[in-house]
Amino acid sequence: MDEFQLSEETVETTIGSSAYQQNRINQWTSSVVETSLNQLSKLGKPFKYIVTCIILQKNGAGLHTASSCFWDNTMDRSCTVRWENKTTYCIVCVFGLAV
Amino acid sequence: MSDLAKEKAARLLKKRGSVSSLGSHDVRAKETGGKIKDSISTVSYIDEPGHHDDNPRPAVQMENTFQLAPHRRFPVLTVNDILKDVLASYLQEEKYEADLCRQMTKTISEVIKARVKDLMVPRYKIIVLISIGQLSDQNMRIGSRCLWDSSNDTFSSHSFKNSSLFAVANVYAVYFE
Repeated sequence: MDEFQLSEETVETTIGSSAYQQNRINQWTSSVVETSLNQLSKLGKPFKYIVTCIILQKNGAGLHTASSCFWDNTMDRSCTVRWENKTTYCIVCVFGLAV
Repeated sequence: MSDLAKEKAARLLKKRGSVSSLGSHDVRAKETGGKIKDSISTVSYIDEPGHHDDNPRPAVQMENTFQLAPHRRFPVLTVNDILKDVLASYLQEEKYEADLCRQMTKTISEVIKARVKDLMVPRYKIIVLISIGQLSDQNMRIGSRCLWDSSNDTFSSHSFKNSSLFAVANVYAVYFE
């Protein structure tokens, strides 16, 4: 699934190199998710998409994420992008399910 | 939960992998005009090893079912209860520890998936996403958006907190036409 390269680029362009700001965080999560969904839908493939974004402040705290899926192994795929800068972590998970 | 159930879940886990352990990692440092930017990104794919080595199944010709909508809808409230139940029973007394929680996320996601599968809702694909984190002074935002058929597809979500950790569970159900 090469279109998942797209989701990585989208994350990088939307978040850029901004430091963590509490007031912007709402806007960022929404914009990351919406932009990546828009780009994915522009591909025009027969897939349903689920995009999840976690934005986290770097504070020494730990986080674990796991996902478990019941789907068609031959046609459905998922991809995770982890992005960080000096003050923030961002994790974006994209799931693509064939129609 | 009883030890027996935990053992069973652990055995199930051994057969399947989780996103973090399988897949290839690709670390790149961004470079623009000779300077290295401050951000790092890694991408992991969920290509299971040996997946493409198996003989591809011959394409199955499906007949028309003339079925436009699911006969039985996904029971969101039941799944909400399942999530509440599982998170509370596994995490009520736990303290945040890196190794324990790593294992716990995988176990919990498999357990939730098994219980949702037991509901036997036909033609629905299930995705379970669990995040367990340490409670400290940080701020965090989790958001998700979906491109799907909103009349048939749905999701369920629950969050749990105790004195040292928090957990968020999301279950997405997508109808397979």
